[in-house]
Amino acid sequence: MSRRSELLRYLGARLALAPLMLWLIASLVFLLLRVAPGDPIDALLGPKAPAAARAALRHQLGLDQPLFSQYGHFLGQLLHGDLGLSQNSQEPVLGIIRASLPASLELGVVALVLAAVIGLAVGFSGIARPEGKVDLAGRLFGIGTYALPPFWAAMVVQLVFAVWLGWLPVGGRFPPTLLPPEGSGFYLFDSLRAGNGQQFWGALRHLVLPAATLGVLLSGIFTNALRLNLRRALGSDYVEAARSRGLSERRVVLRHALPNALLPVLTITGITVASLIGGALLIEVTYSWPGIAYRLQEAIAQRDYPLVQGIVVVVAALVVMITVAVDLLVALLDPRIRF
Amino acid sequence: MLAALLLVLPALSACQPRRPEGILIVATKSRIDSVDPAAASRVGIMQVLSALGDPLYAIAPDGRLEPRLATALPRLSADGLHARIPLRQQVLFHDGTPFDAEAMVFSLKRFMAIGTLGFQLSDRVRTVRATGPHEIELELKQPFSPLPRLLSAIFLTPISPTAYRSHKGSFLADRFVGTGPYRLSFFSPQQQRLSPWQRYWGSRPRNGGLSLVTLSNSTALFGALRSGEVDLLLSSGLDIDHQRALHREAQAGRLHEAIGPALEIGFLSLLSDQPPLNSLILRQAIAHSLDRRTLSNRASLGIKPPLRQLVPPSLPGSDADAWPAYDPARARQLFRQAGYCSGKRFSLPLTFRSDIPTDRLFALTWQAQLQRDLRDCISLEPTGMESTTAYDQLGKGALVMFFYDWSADYPDAENFLVPLLGCEQPRGNHCLKGNSALSGSFWSAPGLDQQLQQSSQLAGAPRLALLHAIQQRAAAAGPYLPVWLTAPVAWARPQLSTPRFDGSGRVLLGELQRRETPSGRTQP
Repeated sequence: MSRRSELLRYLGARLALAPLMLWLIASLVFLLLRVAPGDPIDALLGPKAPAAARAALRHQLGLDQPLFSQYGHFLGQLLHGDLGLSQNSQEPVLGIIRASLPASLELGVVALVLAAVIGLAVGFSGIARPEGKVDLAGRLFGIGTYALPPFWAAMVVQLVFAVWLGWLPVGGRFPPTLLPPEGSGFYLFDSLRAGNGQQFWGALRHLVLPAATLGVLLSGIFTNALRLNLRRALGSDYVEAARSRGLSERRVVLRHALPNALLPVLTITGITVASLIGGALLIEVTYSWPGIAYRLQEAIAQRDYPLVQGIVVVVAALVVMITVAVDLLVALLDPRIRF
Repeated sequence: MLAALLLVLPALSACQPRRPEGILIVATKSRIDSVDPAAASRVGIMQVLSALGDPLYAIAPDGRLEPRLATALPRLSADGLHARIPLRQQVLFHDGTPFDAEAMVFSLKRFMAIGTLGFQLSDRVRTVRATGPHEIELELKQPFSPLPRLLSAIFLTPISPTAYRSHKGSFLADRFVGTGPYRLSFFSPQQQRLSPWQRYWGSRPRNGGLSLVTLSNSTALFGALRSGEVDLLLSSGLDIDHQRALHREAQAGRLHEAIGPALEIGFLSLLSDQPPLNSLILRQAIAHSLDRRTLSNRASLGIKPPLRQLVPPSLPGSDADAWPAYDPARARQLFRQAGYCSGKRFSLPLTFRSDIPTDRLFALTWQAQLQRDLRDCISLEPTGMESTTAYDQLGKGALVMFFYDWSADYPDAENFLVPLLGCEQPRGNHCLKGNSALSGSFWSAPGLDQQLQQSSQLAGAPRLALLHAIQQRAAAAGPYLPVWLTAPVAWARPQLSTPRFDGSGRVLLGELQRRETPSGRTQP
């Protein structure tokens, strides 16, 4: 079988499995939410609303239906691309996700770029003298940033740069004195497209602290991954062969070792992107960043079943898509990969 | 690279957008998912609605009830079952349509039909109808003396029937068309922009508009006010040490501080129909062992004053010393009577809300206080539990003792006593079904529910006497132990006028304005 056919077969299999995976995830979330302690009625009305009012609201939200019937209703809606209405606001879940997801993606993309630039630069900087001072500093940076508790680090950054120095806003996504730009929900892009400098700078100022914090915290992963893979690559036979052909060390590193060392980093990037979509929770909460993770956390606290289910399903779908895309990209770049 | 970043940051700080003239920024922790009064159930949205809408009656800062969209207090029929309310004329909704009796009836009926707190009205009101172009009549299920106070609830604010025509039976989350001093010009859950309503019937707002922003944690809120990013900060969701720091700033003259009427009580609910707390002696011993003053000073840094009653002191019907005072000697005597202290310690489980920092501090402080005072008699075993989970467990009788709080939807004694003591199905001293069970005590007493019902039908001195009597009964049985009182606080930047609260505990946002400098220019 040709490599192209292998690739297509792999892609087909992954895409065919995706609905099954999403169904499993959706069912699991549905079940876990109902099994978990806590009642949405308590979250909405508080503990002391009269029993009749609680029963009426339970009926209004369809929570008095048998579990199987609720599950059937949920799956039926899901098949039609409808994620239902939020129990809290009665707004369509899809609309809420559409409003929150660009915020997370914007933060995630900028943070990832920062993480890659900082992490790869630090990881690469020590390669000239392994175990030298620069390499040691890079190693410490990699371990330190990876080990820092995100919540604590974000709080410290917020206190220093926003509260004490007053250079940047403490939180939020946009200056309260301006109205956000209309369009895709990606404020930097929307304000640039509208040619509104005030909106652009406003959005950028709010993005800097959360993105820089997240970027620096993630950069350790890239530093460590590049360091280890580059050192492994530099000790391999093909690098020795290149050296024995009389190539300069610079050429050996840049043309032979680095591309091979970057392949595993690409996989790590994919995993990081996937985890960033729903995983930047602590950063979003600390900086009041209205992203999908922050929304999910609130929905869980409020036991807003449709919203939690909807967010988890959408995030799971995105994660599946990203991991498939990364697998394909790695396969395209590395001819040694077999499926 | 970090050095480059540090160089870029101050440059970015210089690119701050200019503030539009006169717009004030108000920050709170409360996220606003919907501005539909029918969906309202939390404190944050009530504050927003108080700027966007008008209630029929309002409670003034001095506690007086005053008509707003009504022109006089309800005129009751002889049997007390029909209340006629005359309405203000020449009031316009934000869409330009006139406010009249039909609009008020539409709003109240919609609220009763779909309102999250619809039970507050539908439990008491049978029907609403227009009896004239500017008069409505409420038919009550039984006489209800706190009716005007109930009608002061901001979630009963009228909305334009024209604007809500297609949302008669469903919520409209992101728009609001009412009659208030501000109209909603932009809505997102994190930010709402309010502009003065030019054709407002009453006093026009003194500022050029408001931008209400939500910040998710106490540090961000505190930092935003300190750095001047926001003009006004509301205390809801602010950690106690941040509140104290702001209080000190205010005392030093660097901020304005306003304290509203304390309408939230923090209390312990004791599971009174099951061992071990079905023992009256033990409940009384616990009541005497609670050193509220120390707890207030240590756990709330003195911000939440001690409370020995279920009705906040600012409301008619309160009874300042209804619950027993701290008396460790008496507590020891009662513990001994119950068979403890002589080599046997009573192990008392306490559940607190793990997501509320002050509750954790309370539990740990009380544990230490009991260890100090009654080490040989009692040991407290605190356990944290997430709020929503705890509320669910509370009504199932799973928590022996639980510490939480309660703030009424409208300021009246009835709204504090009935939700805690009311019982649909009492049996002796047990409540099998009803509010008392939902509140975790499962306690009732013969005739208590009738007394509660009677109290909402009486008025004046007889009502106050009955409210006192009800509290005395509850205090003697001890199914609840009031601990402290919480008042809303607002802090404003020094450039602003000092904020004021109304009698319902909401900041009068329309009164806020930037103060003029001696040169006559408003401060930036």
